[in-house]
Amino acid sequence: MDPYEIEFIGENRIVNIIPNFSHDKIFLICGEFGPFRAGLPMNVPLWLGVMLKQKQKCRIVAPDWMDIEVLENIKEEEKKSRFFTKMPNEHYMVEAKLILGTAAEDKPRASEIKTIIKDIWDIRMSKLRTSMDALMKTGGSYGRLDHLTMMEINSVKPLLPQAMDELHRIKMNARKTMPVQSSLNSAVSQPGSSQSIL
Amino acid sequence: MEYDNIELSDDEEEITAQTVLRTLQNAWQNERLAPEILPHQNEMVECMLGQIQHMERNINKLPKTDLRASIHKMELNRIKFIICNYLKTRLDKIEKYCISILNDEKQRLESGTNYLTPSEYKYAQEYLINMESHLKEAALDHVPGNMQSFDLNKLVIYPNLQAHVFLKANETVTGIILEDLGGDQDEEIDLEENSQHILQYKPIADLLKSGKVQLM
Repeated sequence: MDPYEIEFIGENRIVNIIPNFSHDKIFLICGEFGPFRAGLPMNVPLWLGVMLKQKQKCRIVAPDWMDIEVLENIKEEEKKSRFFTKMPNEHYMVEAKLILGTAAEDKPRASEIKTIIKDIWDIRMSKLRTSMDALMKTGGSYGRLDHLTMMEINSVKPLLPQAMDELHRIKMNARKTMPVQSSLNSAVSQPGSSQSIL
Repeated sequence: MEYDNIELSDDEEEITAQTVLRTLQNAWQNERLAPEILPHQNEMVECMLGQIQHMERNINKLPKTDLRASIHKMELNRIKFIICNYLKTRLDKIEKYCISILNDEKQRLESGTNYLTPSEYKYAQEYLINMESHLKEAALDHVPGNMQSFDLNKLVIYPNLQAHVFLKANETVTGIILEDLGGDQDEEIDLEENSQHILQYKPIADLLKSGKVQLM
């Protein structure tokens, strides 16, 4: 999938906004939202929040996790942990990009926040590259990847799945051409050795 | 502009437009990421198209400057994008794997578990006929008679069911067998609810079709 499609999916998440107009409840197919009361916070899908923001009809309230202190903690955790830590939000990158992109003035220190989020992304991506490398070297055909977000997973497509497909093809050929001498291969892929890349 | 719950023609079960939308969105995501064509969701598509038409009629009654009109339009455009992309993805697969899909589908039709909608099936058949006559007209008719034989079976393209896919488990599933090619002992894994994995498509194809896992 293209990154813009992941963004499209992420746009369905609910965000908090403060409208500057009043309006009755609005009945959308994805649910009902409102009533809109000027100055009172309310929930809408992210796409609607961004649209209203662009029409200058609301302020977007950045989610609680979009806070320097919280993010610094997440960053430290991510650095310390061997595994991927659970992100505050399944689409943290999409939300950060859209909210800080369209409503940067609603959030103090927006550019610092952007930098920390990018740092967290970088740490996770480098972890992901290391894990992929390990997975390929052990000839694994299976990996577990809890807590990776869709955007992160998408960023290693098509490289990782295709590399695993190729490895599989090579193994199939090896098995076909030398059915007896498979001991060479089995040294790399013992049962249970398929590495978890968590 | 409130809607009543929509009743599906197939069964008595009432579902909300919201559920239909969520189902369609999942179907779209899975169809985009699965190597083979998945069972169709025609009732959901038809249902949503009806809903869109109904909404569009209502929007047209609103004054153009009404904020609601632009919000509803935006939502409808988003839904139309999902539906178009979903149907186009299926057509792409039908064109690419035309022969193998038609072969499988003939068997599935006998057991009443067809994956294609009647119009997709018709499209696939016509596509194949057109391809065949095109190949004949463009090349075969112009070569010596003894070289004109044409074997469709040599043109079959199969989807790669061994392809690796990313998935998330919607519920806990135990005992998935992963074939171990190097050694001779297969590995068994469990998918806990909400856990994420990368593995071959084939062992989880049925789980995907029954909604126990979701591709990502």
